[in-house]
Amino acid sequence: MDVRGAPPDAEVVALVLAGDTEAFGFVIRRYEAGLLRFATRMLGSRDAAQDAVAESFVRAYRHLATCREPARLRTWLYRIVTNRCKSHLVRRSVADVPLDDAPPVADPADTEAALERADLLVLVEQALADLSPDKREAFVLKHVEGLSYEEMAVVTGERIPTLKMRVHRAREALLKVLEDHA
Amino acid sequence: MSVIDPRIHQALDGELASEAVPAELRRAVAQLVAAADLLAAPLPGPAASLESRVMAEIRRPAPSRARRVMGWLVTPRAIILRVRPAWSVAFAAVVAALTLFTTGHDGPELAEHEGIAQFVGRFPEAQSVHAVGTFNDWRPGSIALEDQDHDGVWRATVVLPAGTYEYMFVVDGERWVPDHLAERLVADDFGRENSIVIVRAAPR
Repeated sequence: MDVRGAPPDAEVVALVLAGDTEAFGFVIRRYEAGLLRFATRMLGSRDAAQDAVAESFVRAYRHLATCREPARLRTWLYRIVTNRCKSHLVRRSVADVPLDDAPPVADPADTEAALERADLLVLVEQALADLSPDKREAFVLKHVEGLSYEEMAVVTGERIPTLKMRVHRAREALLKVLEDHA
Repeated sequence: MSVIDPRIHQALDGELASEAVPAELRRAVAQLVAAADLLAAPLPGPAASLESRVMAEIRRPAPSRARRVMGWLVTPRAIILRVRPAWSVAFAAVVAALTLFTTGHDGPELAEHEGIAQFVGRFPEAQSVHAVGTFNDWRPGSIALEDQDHDGVWRATVVLPAGTYEYMFVVDGERWVPDHLAERLVADDFGRENSIVIVRAAPR
């Protein structure tokens, strides 16, 4: 749904806290695509990601009064989703991370380039799933969601040097997979 | 120690201009950028919005405390019991403290049907820790834990009406974490995990 023209986050938060429950829909429409993509990359499962993000939105709504910086709602939401993903991962071993998006099936309409791209996506998703949750989280926040290291520190509660090291290690692991494949 | 040229990291972190990256490293940079772009692309398939699901949940009136406790008592559910080895001594101390407070004679004066609950959590980097739960309608602020000796272990002792309560800790006002030293952890109706404390009325 279109959220152009929606009020800024701080105003939306104020509306919700003033009792306008429906205004929370702005928050969902504005952030659900990015949060779902992040959770899917973290959990390797679209269904699990939808559960984690839905739980996170409900938690965010119920505890919105504790959001100390409404203008930075985005990082606060990522923090909640990050914690929900960690809880999901704790309940299952990392080795069990499913890649439930089935490998793409060749379609006569697909170009060779599109098929190569699909193959590469499967390879990268598997390499991501093989990373430890901490490195996966750091890489996805940095390179998929485009957060700065400062924002990542707010989201994860970790120090910037620690996050940089995790991102570096993740890059090294991914690059090794990509070069082995080439 | 990094196993790839540090200039690759510098380029990807925006600390090195792309034109300054040596030609022999550009392929690696491009491979990683392409991989990230693939992961950042919109997810395939129909985009099922969570809005209706989430809004239905938040429009639902919150059940009363009594209803929540009753619901927990009558609903069959799996209970996760967790005692981490490293925490076993602390856990034993908490149990002992709870036992002493609820059965001893040196505690504060309690009204009938009241007992004492002690909350203990280890949060070395925290600036504040609060206990929230069904005993205070999940409102942060009313039960603040203290770390008087700055050892990272936060504590609070409070008088509560006897009963069974679900709760969590709120660290630094925004991080909600269950208490893994709790007597039990339970999943609530929305798949979250809450801790359980049972407050027993002091013997009269």
